[in-house]
Parts: sequence; C-alpha cells; structure tokens
Amino acid sequence: MAKAKNKRNSGLADKVHNKRKGDVHKKKLNPFEVHINREKMKVLGQKSKHERGMPGVARARAVQKRKETLGTEMKLMHKTNVFTDRRIGEKDSALSAEERATARFAAERARRPRPALYNLADDELLTHRGQTLEQIEKFDDPRSSDDEDEDDGRKAFRGLDDEFVSEGHFGGGMLSRGAGGGAGGAGGGARSHQDLIDQLIADSKRRKADKQKLKEQTLDLTEKLDSEWRDLQPVVAKRARAASPAPAPAPGDPPLTRAERAALDYDQMTRELRFEKRGTPSDGLKSQEAQEEEERKQLAAWQRERDRRMRGEEGEGAAPAHTHRSAEDLDDNLELEAAAPGFMLAYDDEGRALGDEAVLTQHSGFPSEKKQFQDGGSDDSSDEEEREEGSSEGGDDDDDDDDDDEQTAADKTSTKKIDKKSKEAKPNETSILFQKQTSDEDDDDEDEDEGKNGGDDDKDNETTDDDDDDETEEKNSEKDNHSKKMNSIKTNGLPKEDSSESDSDSDTEPAESEKINENKVDDISNLRVLLESVAESEDEEQRAEDDQRISTFFKTMSTEGYKLKALLSDKSPAAQAAALARLVKQYDPSKGEGNKEKLSQLFPYVVQFIHDAWGAPSSAAGVSHAARTLHHLAPILYDLAKVNKVSSMKCIVEVLKEKHDLFLKCPKRVPDLDTLVLFKLVSLLYPGSDYRHPVATPALVFMQQILTRGRFRDPQSISRGLFVAALILEYTALSKRLVPPVINFLRGLLYMAADIPIVSQLQVVPPFRARDAGLLRVSADCPPLSGADKMAAGDLFTDEFTDELKVRVISTCVNMLRELFDNSSDLEAQECIFRPHLQLLALVRLPPAPAAAPAPAALDYMTRALEVKTYTHMCGEKKKTKMLRLYEPDVQDVFTGSKSAKLSVEASSRARLTGRLRRERRGAARELRRDAAYLAGEKLRGKIRSDNERKAKVKRIYAEAALQQGELNALKRQK
Amino acid sequence: MSATPKMNSSQLRNKANDFLNSKRHANNLADILKLFEAETDNFSPLLLTIEVIFTELLKRGDLVQHIEPLNPSVNTPEAQYAKWLNECYETALKCTLNCIKMGRMSSRLQALVTACKLMQAEGKYPLEESVSYQFPAVRLKNIFSMLLDSELSMAAPIARFQEFSEHRDVQQYGLKVLPTIAYRKNPSSVYMENYLELLDKLLSVQIVVDGAVKRRADDDEKGEKVLCDAEGKPSFTYNPATCRRYANRCWGFACQWALLSAAGPRRRALLLLVERLMPLLSKPQQATDMLCDCLDAGGPISMLALQGVLELVRHHNIEYPDIYDRLYAMFEPAMFATRYKRRLMHLADIFLSSTHLPESLVAAFAKRMSRLALLASPEEAVALVGLVSSLLHRHPALKRMICYEDTPAIMSNDPYVMEETLARRSGALGSSLWELRALRRHHAPAVCAAAAAALSAAPMPEPISDDELFDAEVKRHFKTIELNFLRPQGMALPEGERLLQYWDIMA
Repeated sequence: MAKAKNKRNSGLADKVHNKRKGDVHKKKLNPFEVHINREKMKVLGQKSKHERGMPGVARARAVQKRKETLGTEMKLMHKTNVFTDRRIGEKDSALSAEERATARFAAERARRPRPALYNLADDELLTHRGQTLEQIEKFDDPRSSDDEDEDDGRKAFRGLDDEFVSEGHFGGGMLSRGAGGGAGGAGGGARSHQDLIDQLIADSKRRKADKQKLKEQTLDLTEKLDSEWRDLQPVVAKRARAASPAPAPAPGDPPLTRAERAALDYDQMTRELRFEKRGTPSDGLKSQEAQEEEERKQLAAWQRERDRRMRGEEGEGAAPAHTHRSAEDLDDNLELEAAAPGFMLAYDDEGRALGDEAVLTQHSGFPSEKKQFQDGGSDDSSDEEEREEGSSEGGDDDDDDDDDDEQTAADKTSTKKIDKKSKEAKPNETSILFQKQTSDEDDDDEDEDEGKNGGDDDKDNETTDDDDDDETEEKNSEKDNHSKKMNSIKTNGLPKEDSSESDSDSDTEPAESEKINENKVDDISNLRVLLESVAESEDEEQRAEDDQRISTFFKTMSTEGYKLKALLSDKSPAAQAAALARLVKQYDPSKGEGNKEKLSQLFPYVVQFIHDAWGAPSSAAGVSHAARTLHHLAPILYDLAKVNKVSSMKCIVEVLKEKHDLFLKCPKRVPDLDTLVLFKLVSLLYPGSDYRHPVATPALVFMQQILTRGRFRDPQSISRGLFVAALILEYTALSKRLVPPVINFLRGLLYMAADIPIVSQLQVVPPFRARDAGLLRVSADCPPLSGADKMAAGDLFTDEFTDELKVRVISTCVNMLRELFDNSSDLEAQECIFRPHLQLLALVRLPPAPAAAPAPAALDYMTRALEVKTYTHMCGEKKKTKMLRLYEPDVQDVFTGSKSAKLSVEASSRARLTGRLRRERRGAARELRRDAAYLAGEKLRGKIRSDNERKAKVKRIYAEAALQQGELNALKRQK
Repeated sequence: MSATPKMNSSQLRNKANDFLNSKRHANNLADILKLFEAETDNFSPLLLTIEVIFTELLKRGDLVQHIEPLNPSVNTPEAQYAKWLNECYETALKCTLNCIKMGRMSSRLQALVTACKLMQAEGKYPLEESVSYQFPAVRLKNIFSMLLDSELSMAAPIARFQEFSEHRDVQQYGLKVLPTIAYRKNPSSVYMENYLELLDKLLSVQIVVDGAVKRRADDDEKGEKVLCDAEGKPSFTYNPATCRRYANRCWGFACQWALLSAAGPRRRALLLLVERLMPLLSKPQQATDMLCDCLDAGGPISMLALQGVLELVRHHNIEYPDIYDRLYAMFEPAMFATRYKRRLMHLADIFLSSTHLPESLVAAFAKRMSRLALLASPEEAVALVGLVSSLLHRHPALKRMICYEDTPAIMSNDPYVMEETLARRSGALGSSLWELRALRRHHAPAVCAAAAAALSAAPMPEPISDDELFDAEVKRHFKTIELNFLRPQGMALPEGERLLQYWDIMA
C-alpha cells in the first residue's frame, strides 16, 4: 500500500506517546535512578510536580521517543515511497488469529455508516447460506414448486409403465418373444424395439404436456382465487380475530398433512412474534415477599403524603422551601414577587385537566353535561317546557355529534319523568338530581308511570329517529329492551319502589316466594353470610335479566337513573352490590373507549340511589337496611369515584351545596338522614384529615354549622346531632384537629343531663339555653337498665325521652368527650376547654346501668390528666438574625515586591503572556537542540557503522586478495 | 246607592273620571265616600280613587274658597259647591286616616301613602292662596296622631313613612308637630314603641349642626329633597338648629316616661339614642343615668348601652369608673347568641385602641378573647383572633404572652383566672396565649391561618362574614383531588372509623 509520506507520519508521535504511557508505571523504580530536587522555599498550598525526578529514565524515554519519531523520519528521508503493512493486528504478535479476525470485523463494522444510531442490531444483515433473511422471507409464491417435486419424486419411476419395463429391461425369453412376435413377423423384434422407443418418447412428451397443462390450470385458478380474495379481504378481516384461529384451507388446495400444519403453525407463530408488539423489557416476576415489601412501601409513602397534606400550610410555614440563591444574591431586602396565583394547568392521575371550571366543563366528558338539551331533534311540543326548565338547570352543550340525537330524545323523557315525579312528590323542590322520593308512592302509580314512560320513549324514538339504518336497528333493539323491561316489571309484580322500603308490607305477592324469602332474611338479617348466599343463589332467570340490563345499560346513554333503579330494585343490598359490580366490571375503562365517560356518568346516579335509600326510611329497620345498602355499595362507589375524580368531586360538592342551601333556609332544624349520609359518603371517599380538601372541608364546615346553629331540644335532633358529632370525630380522627362545635355540643348535652344547682357558675354555650336544663336528666326513680352504650338506629326517629335513650346519649357523650380530650392532650388549652365538661359531668346523676359504667371512670381519668398537666410559657421560635448588608470590599494597593503588581490588568496579562512565550520558546529551542544532537549522533553512528562495514569489507577484500596472491604465489612456485 | 256594596277598580276609575270631567256627576264623589262604610278589608282601590280625585281637584284649585271680605255670606252656587267639596275633602281625609288602622296590611300602607300624597298635593296647591311657603302641618299632625296608637303596633306603616320623612320639610315640621301631641302621662309600651319608632324615622336623615361640617352640608344641599315644593314660590328654608331643638324636645318628652320598664321600648329607645340622637342632644350628660342603668342590665341591652357610654366618654368627658371591667364582663359565651356581637367586638376594638391602658388589663382582654375563640364558630373565632392580634400589635408588652423571653418555668396551672371579674387582677400577664396555639389546630383552615398570623405578628387575613365560609371553601381551586388511598370494604373506614364506634346502625 503506497501512501504519501506526510500523511503516514502524521500521527506517529501521538501513537508512540500513547503506547509508552501505559508501560511506564509498571516498571519498578530503581532507587538509584531517582534524583531528589531540593526545594528552595516552601509555598503553602502549591503543588510541586518536580520534587523528584528520574534523570536516567527520563533521558532514556526521550531517546526512545526520538528514535521512534525523528529516527524513523530520518530513515525515510529522501525516500519517495514505502510499503506499510496496515493489516489490523498483523504486527501485533500478542493477538491470536481469532482475535485478529474479531478485531477486523469490529473495525469493519465501525467503518460502515450507521443509519440509525439507536436501532440495535438493525444494521446487520443476517444471512443464511449467502442469502439474506429478508430475501428468504419475501413470501413470494414459489408457484407450487413443491408439488412438482413431489410429482417428480413419486412418478420418477413410473414414467415407464410396468409392461414396458418388464419387456424392455428384462428382455423376456424367446418364448414370450416368439409368442409375442408371432403376429409381427420376422422383423418384429428390431422394428418393435424402434417402435417401443418411439412410443416411449411420445408417451413421455404427452405426459409432460399434460403436466404442463395441469400446472397452468392450477396457476390460473390460484390467481383467480387471489384476486377474489383481495376483494373479500375487507369483509373478512373484521372478524378474522374472532373467527377460528386457523383459517380453513382454500377449496383448491390439497388438504394439509399433519407435519405441514405444524409447520404452518410455526410460521404463523414466528410472524406473530415478529409483527406483534414487542413486550417491553421489564423486571422479572417478584417474589411474594418482595411484592409485600413493595406494597408496604407504597402504603407508607401514601401515609406520608397524607400526613404532609394534613399538616398543610402549617408545615410549609415551618420549613420554607429552599429556592436556589446565587452567591451574588445578597440580602438586600428586595422582595421578589410571588408567582401569580393564576390558573395553572394540571392533570390528575388519569390525565384529566384540573382546575378552571370553564376549561373543564368544555373539555371533559363530565356529567355536568349529564342533562343535555339540544335544540334540534324532537318536535314534541309538550317537551318545550321541560327543555326550558332543564336548560336553565343543566348547562347545555352544542358541540355534540349527531349520534347523540336519540340520547337527547330519551334524555327529555327522563327529565320529563323526573319532573313529573318531583311534581308529585314536592311541588316546590326543583332539584332534578335529588328529588325527594316520598315513600307513599304506591305500586299502581309507579306501574302506570313506567307504562307511560315506555310509551313515551317509543314515540320519541319514532319521531326523532333520523334516516340512518343503524339507528333504526338500534331503535328496534331499544324497543325490545323496553318491552322486555316492562314485561319484567309486570311479571315481577313487585312494587318498583326503593329497595329500602322492602321492609314495609310489600311481601304479599305469592308469585315470588324467593323474593319474599329474601326480604324476610333482610328483616332478620344479622346473618350476613346467609344474605350473601342468597345473593349468590339468585336464580338464573334473574341473573340473565340483569345481564341483559347491564349489556344495554349505556346503549341509550340517557335513562341511567331509571335503569339503575330498575336494575337495583327488588334486591337485597348484597345482590344490588353484586349487580352493580358486574355493571362496573363490564364497562371497565380498559375494555372500551367510551367506558370511562359512561362510568363517570354513572356515579351521580349511584349517589342518588344511596341518597334516596337514606331519605326514605322512618324506622330503625329502614335505617339499618339503608346502612347495609351503603355498606355494600361503598366499595363500588369508591371505584367509580376513582374513574373520574374531577366529575365525582364536582357531583358531591354540588349535592353538598344544594343541601347546604336547604339547610340555610332553616338553620335551626337538623337536616335529615339523606343529608347526613352524604357526610359519611365523603369520609368514605375522601381523606378528611387534609388541611384543606375540595370536598372534605366544605362537608366539615357544613357539619359544624349544623352543630352551631341547630336547636337541640327533641330526641330526634339530639340523636342526629350525635350522628354528626361522630362523623366529625371521624373526619378529625387522624388530624386531631380542634372542633369547638362538637365540644360545645357535648357540653350542652351534659348541661341538659346534669343536676344544675340553683346558684352556679356554670355557663351555657349558645345553641343551648339555660332553660333547657334537665331535658336529659335521668329520672330519679329509674330502675336498673340494661342495654348497649352505643346509639341505636331507632334513636334517630324516637319522639320521647326514655331513660334508656338518656343513658345512651350520656354514655356516648362521655365516650366522645374522652376521645376529644385525648385528641388535645398535647395542648395547654386543654384544661380551659374541658374544665366545664368535667364540672358538668360530675353533676350528672347516672342510674345503675352497664352502659353508664364507663362515665365515672372517664371523669376520673380526665380529672387526673388535668391535674398532672404542666404549663410552660410559649417561646417564639428563635428568629434567624438577618445578615448585615455587605458592601463591595474596598481593596487598597499593597506593595508586594513584584513588578507586575503596578501594571494595569492588560499590561500585566501581556507581561505574563510574553513570559510564558519566552519560556516556551526556550523549551522548544532546547528540544530542537536535543533533536539536532540526536540526529547528529544518529548520523555519526550511521557513519561509523558504514565505516566499519567498509573497513570490514576492505579487510575481507584484502584478505581474499592476499589469499589469492598466496595461491598465485604457490602456483608460481610449483612451476 | 249603598245597594252597590262593592265596585271593582275599573268601575271606580270610570266613576272618578266622570266626576272630574263634569259637575253633573258630582254625586259620584258622595257615592265613593259612602263605599268606605261598606268596605272592611281592602280599601286600596278606594284610596287610590280618592287620591286621584283630590289631587286633581287641588291642582285645579276647585277647593279654594274665595272669601271676599266685603260680603261674607255670598251664596253663589260656585261657592256652595266649593264648600261642599271642602266638606267632602275633610271626610275623605278622615276616612283615609281611619283606614291606616283597619283592614289588611297592604291597604293600611296604602292609606298612609294616600294621606301623605294628599298632604303633598295640599302643600303644593294650598287651600288658601298665599305667596309664601306653606306646609300643611295640621294634616301631618293628624297622620301622626293616627300613627301613635296605644294598642296597635304601627311598625310597618312607620317604616313605610320613612320614604316621606326623608324629605327635609317633613322632617322639620314633623319634629315640630310631634311634641305637641306627645304629652301623655303614662303611655302604654306600644305607644312608646310607636313614638320612638316614628322619632327614629324622622331622624333618619342626619341633621348636621356643627359649623365645621357646614361646607359638606352645602354640597349636599342640592341633593336634599323637599316634599311640598311648588314652582313659583319661595322654596323651603331648612333650619338645622331648629330641628335639633325640636328633636331635643321630643326626646325630653320621652324621657319622662318609664322607658326602661319594658324590654321593647327600652331596646328601641337605646337604639334611637345611640344611633341617632346622641350627637343632637344639647345635654347628653342627662342620658348618662339611663345608659348606666342599661349597662347594668346585662345581655344585648348592655352592649347597646356601651356604645352610648363610649360616646359620652369620648366626647363629653364623662368618667365612668369601671367601664373596662364592664366591657370585660360582656365577653362571655352568651355573647355569641346575641345579635350585637359584631358591634361588641367593634366597640371593644375602639375601647382598647388606647395605648395607655395598663398591660395587665389588655392582657386579660386578650386572654379572655382567645378563650372565647375556643368556643366560637369559625367566623367569630377569626374575628376574635383578629382582635387579639391587634392588641398584640398595639401593646408590645403583651409580646411576652406569645414569646416569653426569660427561661420558661414549668407551672402546674394557668396563672390566668377566668372567673375573676376585675380584669387587672386576673393575672393574665403571667400567662401565655396557649389558646392561639390550640386554634392553630382548628378544623377550619381560615381560623388556623388567623391564629398563625397572630402568633407570628403577620398581617391578619380578611375576616369572613357568616355563611361565607362554606361558599369560600367550595369555590376554592385545587390542583389535585385526593381520594382515600385505601379502598373501603364496606361502610366502615379501613382506619379511624368513628360512626360505627358510637352508633349501632347496621343491626
């Protein structure tokens, strides 16, 4: 390989340098070679590089370096060309042949440009027997070459028929030939042979022609089939997946053998593996411990997060966020503007935007649009009013697609129905979502309603449906659906009232004995296991019906509320939960595109269902039934809330607001159970411990308002107040927040229960009045009572103060008081908060009842706790002293003795640079000198060597000449 | 004609129009007046008709009787007609005034309005020709004597009367007329209430007396309303000093009564005194006794009296011996039930705004207010903490209550004695405001923030009014919506369940 010299020599020095670098340190230092440089003066903090030197080694190194650079260069001086062996690894004897090959391959790979840098293993062309795999797998039709081969293989020996073979090949005997040739005459043998050969040739030609023809036919057929297949493909492709995995063989093809099928499967599999989405690399399966460990960690992280939220701004105040401050940032009292508290676009876990109302309502599939009213569509004039009413209530969206038309139609019917109902129930209550269900609606009314509703639906469908075929189809199905539903309702014959009323005397129908059983079980029903078994042993018919309902649940997207009721009515709570769970499962967001919206639309209806269930009852059994409904539906409701956090939050807040407005109209009245259950619902779904929470905080505020403003004089309101108090305790159980309304409420109750002496310092806190004292006082001649110390469901409805009730109230009161007391045990103000309670509690006279037993103990406990309480003055946190403002240091010139000190910056730097240049130049000159010396030495050495050689040669010549002369002389002498 | 007992409003209107159009239908007026006897409940259409007829007649001047001094008894038909019309007018006015007491409320109010409107018309077009300004004071006197009923509470008509008493001339003449009919020995409490109410309404437009604010008053002159303002006549001249004198006279009458015997008049009188009369009284010191009595009464009454006392103390050099102790005593849990709690807090803020008060006193107030904040609803707690915070700002010595400089000693109890009635002796200065620390754990974030601000001497957040808290919390924006991280398995929470702990509801 001939190359220009310059290029060849270009990197030589570097190469040599690099090579040497590695080796030097390996050598052991010979102590005699080391030379210690004496330090003249020690400069603090200076790194000295030259405190020891190795002159011998350094010189040798320099010589070696020169030899490899200057030396070779000198050698090549005045030479035009040179051969270099640049085969990789060829000169390196350390490499084996294998390694050499590898190195070459690597170099080759590196040389090739890589189209996609990060596409691993994509640039290599894998070959198989010289062909690339791509070439092999072109899948072009080899035109049935295989069956050709097959034919050849099979018929290779059948080209000649048996007769010919036996005669021609094996000759036969004279006899047979004679017998055969008798007819043919004398020349038959030779001629017949000629004939035979001819015949043979003709036969084979014919066969070939036949085969060719057959082949062409097959090809034609195949092509035809292919073209037709292409036409059919779009139709078939749709259900290709659903259809049997192995496609039926084409009619023209021969049936496949087993092996072939196996091969086909294999091919299919490879293709699947190739084309289907590659699995992302992931960690291996974790062991159970690891999983548990991880779960534990996650839980702990969640708890930490919750604690952080619980501390809220408090925590933030304690430890201000460390923002970066640069070193130049002095404390110069410049207050940076805080970031504007504008709208920040944020997303929740599901990727939904949070925040601005307008933005949200525009973009999210969120059921504030659940009542949608469009202008187009229906021409039913009676709908006008409802539409107007509705549009004033629900925000209307105009950017819906055409396929929503029937939704709206059905929507209207639903609103109409609701309106109708609300008119029936309460003329002045306008809420759509939470119209009250009065319990006195009887069966006939309801049935009639259903019938009307169904009819309306059908009519609407007929009038509003557009010209689309699909829609008519759907309409039919819908009709079917409706009729089925109506049938089911009618055959059931049970009242379509809220499930919570099943305790009423509705089980008179003899048709559904099982239902009655269920109801009875409900009424007895402390055996939940039994109930569950009943739920499971639901008969098939019912189940199928449910399935039908579930599958068509969101078809029309409109009457979910009604459908939900249809689905859940006549069932025990467990069965309701099961049905709802199936519904939710079927519309799991991972299973379809619109499912998320559908499920988020379902949430308000479930909330309403629970609300209605709690609104209806007026007895203890009813409440416990409603409680069981909530018990079973709560997990599902949680799942639904999780599907779309924003919409569920808005729904709950909306309901709270509505209830709050109702409450404000008459703040002295404690709200009904359907309001109180909302608070429980909130605490089930949302963390009440947060410092501030979009749902929990308003709920808490609402509850405390109930306790501050309510008038507690009758048993109902007192027990409801205790209900609310328990819920507030639940909210603040974790955060241990101070809730004065609850404390005041308990104080008021104790005041009413205590024997207040006529002259006393005891004061009442406002919602209670001094003249109500004694309402809860247990009568003096009270007999020993037995009973639980918990409040009972029946207390929510009782109208008279029985002694049992009083004892229950007092004991609950004491228990709550104790909890509140413990919650604030780290506060110094505990004493002034709870002292009045203790004084009152000491005055409460309790009958001998097991329920009242813990009261004196609690009193004792709290008194003692207050006695040992210590007080220390409040010390403010030590304020960090602010650093004094620092000014620019005024640096004076100081004599340092150096010349450059007085120069200007520019001049000094110039001086520095010239100094360095001089030094460099000196160094370079020295190097050049040494180079010259080296070269001279080399030249000298070369000269000496060549001189020596010449001398040796001369010597030899002389020697030879002398020898020659000697011999010549000897010859002369002989003569 | 009495056979037609009732007529609807359109018939009445036709009749009135007929009457006004020609004298031939003069009897219509008599018919209409007779209808007053038939009606018992709703006089409104009749009253409106009367109002229309006589306003028109007054405008036309039909009622004016020309009396020629030379021949006094001229019996021309015109004069007779005018005389008859005058008689009818008197009857109509009498009926109207009677209607103030009868029938349904709307008709009673209408009667009052009609009477006033007729009075206005008469003022504009007087019955006797004159060139100067004339106010029909007699009519006003009649109205007043109707309004000051001894049995019937006239709160609603008097409230309606305010729209007329806002006029300057009505105010002046009203104040002039009122004392003339007020003299009475032992009036009933209803009468007193009516009287005080009426006086209150008459004083609803502020009477500016001082010369210092004269200029401002001049600016307002253009906006002042005069009821009986006719064109072409000298306008009404308003005299504040006279008004003030009359007002003092009115109050003087009221003072002779046993105002403080019943709760209703006492509250009204106090409100009137405190809110309207105080700057007008020539000798406010005379009200001191009454205010002191009220201050001792306790409850909301004393809160009201406190404001008057404050006025006396600030502007009239009255020294009230233990006013701060009384104020201190008003801060008790019962204050939350009264409707003047905001006023009390405001007054306390003014009382305690002096920086020369003894520290022990202010400390006692701070301590007591923060104690009360522990009992209050969030809105009141925020207000109370705000008060405490401003006390801490004004009196640097109170800093030791939140930030004790010396090495803190451990005490076995709180040095502050809540039951002590003397603020200075309550030992509050030795205590600390632990209550604020407790309030930092309050369930309402607003209270937490307020307490934190008070403790760190930061500016207080905006106070919140009642009912605002819920809406404010609902409207707040959140970046994330947190759900419970544990899925509930049933009605009970996975941790921290309390409802089922106290309630046996599932059974």
